[in-house]
Amino acid sequence: MSKLNIELTINGKKRKVETTTSTRLLDLIRDDLHLTGTKEGCGKGECGACTVIMNGELAASCLILAPQADGAAITTIEGIGDDKYLDPIQEAFIETGAVQCGFCTPGMILAAKKLLEENPHPDEEEIKRGISGNLCRCTGYQKIIDAIKLAANRLSSSDSGRGKKDA
Amino acid sequence: MKKRGRGIATIMFGFGYGEGFPDHSIASAEIEEEGKILIRTAAADVGQGILTTISQISAEVLKVKPEAIQIIPGDTHLTKNSGSSSATRQTFFTGNAVKEASEGLLSNIYHYASIEFRSNHVELGIKGGYIFRKDNPNNQLSYWELAERVKARGDNLKAESSFFPHTDKPDPETGQGEKLYVAYTFVTQIIDLEVNTDTGIVEVLKVYTAADIGKAINPKNVEGQIEGGTVQGIGMALMEEQIIKEGITLNPDLTGYLIPTSMDTPHFITRLIENEDSEGPYGAKGIGEPATIATAPAIANAIYDAIGVRIYDLPITPEKILKALKEKVKFTSEGWLGL
Repeated sequence: MSKLNIELTINGKKRKVETTTSTRLLDLIRDDLHLTGTKEGCGKGECGACTVIMNGELAASCLILAPQADGAAITTIEGIGDDKYLDPIQEAFIETGAVQCGFCTPGMILAAKKLLEENPHPDEEEIKRGISGNLCRCTGYQKIIDAIKLAANRLSSSDSGRGKKDA
Repeated sequence: MKKRGRGIATIMFGFGYGEGFPDHSIASAEIEEEGKILIRTAAADVGQGILTTISQISAEVLKVKPEAIQIIPGDTHLTKNSGSSSATRQTFFTGNAVKEASEGLLSNIYHYASIEFRSNHVELGIKGGYIFRKDNPNNQLSYWELAERVKARGDNLKAESSFFPHTDKPDPETGQGEKLYVAYTFVTQIIDLEVNTDTGIVEVLKVYTAADIGKAINPKNVEGQIEGGTVQGIGMALMEEQIIKEGITLNPDLTGYLIPTSMDTPHFITRLIENEDSEGPYGAKGIGEPATIATAPAIANAIYDAIGVRIYDLPITPEKILKALKEKVKFTSEGWLGL
């Protein structure tokens, strides 16, 4: 297992990390960068819990080796919002009751973020398709779908677009 | 060809361990630092929302905002037994324990305030964390000021309660008993679906649910339980199957063992029936497991309605549907059906 240094931009910040050729991006994010919002579910790319946005695309961080992320820009759930500032998608998840155990939530919110960036006015079928790579065992998905609809409405009705707290 | 069908199923579910098992929950309530009331419970919130529910219950009893309620959940050093988050029991058991502990705390607030006010509890009122004399509402003490004074007397403003209802063991021969469970939840579901007779794939379109849950302490959480339980029921009915061969699970992953995705989610129409007819907090009953049970039989009935064949073993996979349709055609052509 040989060591190497990689540089990546994570949630807007440049980070240099020593890693190994066999470290998964998921472990780099959780264990080395201590960003534990990204979850490990199945560990084989089936459930979506470890979803991050890598170079603008949704990615299962459990299937990516850390060296593959050298030079990449990565957004994790910590880059979406925090205690002081919640993204409108996060607020909508709370309001509609889209969170139960919460384990799928980080990946689900990143999938919703990506969906709404590409398609600001998705219909119900498009929302279902947009989160179909993220499994949820608690909610039955309905309240997650409702949350994304609510967030879409709010984001499109606020002039300055996404990223602003709903007034 | 796509064929539509509608099916119905009704279930009843006795929740809690029941049948004479010593099932109980202990909780306490105390006046904490400024503006906070502390609840101790070992009830595990696994996403069902028990901590939200008990915050609401305690806030309701003590006439404070739910934000004032702080909870120490599930710490073996700091909390006492609340029983498991299983058997659909926490809202009923820990909900009652928290309600009684909060009522005990409220009684103590009245007791010590009547001493402070040199008055009688019937002449006192409470509102927004204050206790006051009804004949002079300006003469008031906050719960937290009162707690300081009680502390100065060498006492504490707190209460603990255990909810420990009796149930009977069933007669071993007849299975009957006076009260086997603390209460029963009833759920009826009507399910509309579509069967593709070429592929055997079933699409669940609409689920109408009527759930008699006594009282929905948090209606959104109750809906969440119903929707989540129903989608698990759809999984059970149509796709989830653990394949075991000689003790080894052959499909120990989500590619081989399918669970519903967002694409399998139906449209939900839910009605909550609130008869407040149980001994639960404010008449509430449990909804966790009952939410899952009616779905599979309603789906099996709807499939029968759609294509006229009964399939008795779950999951009702496309392969089973195609096989059943083929046999139905065979039986019909040989005159076996409709005799």
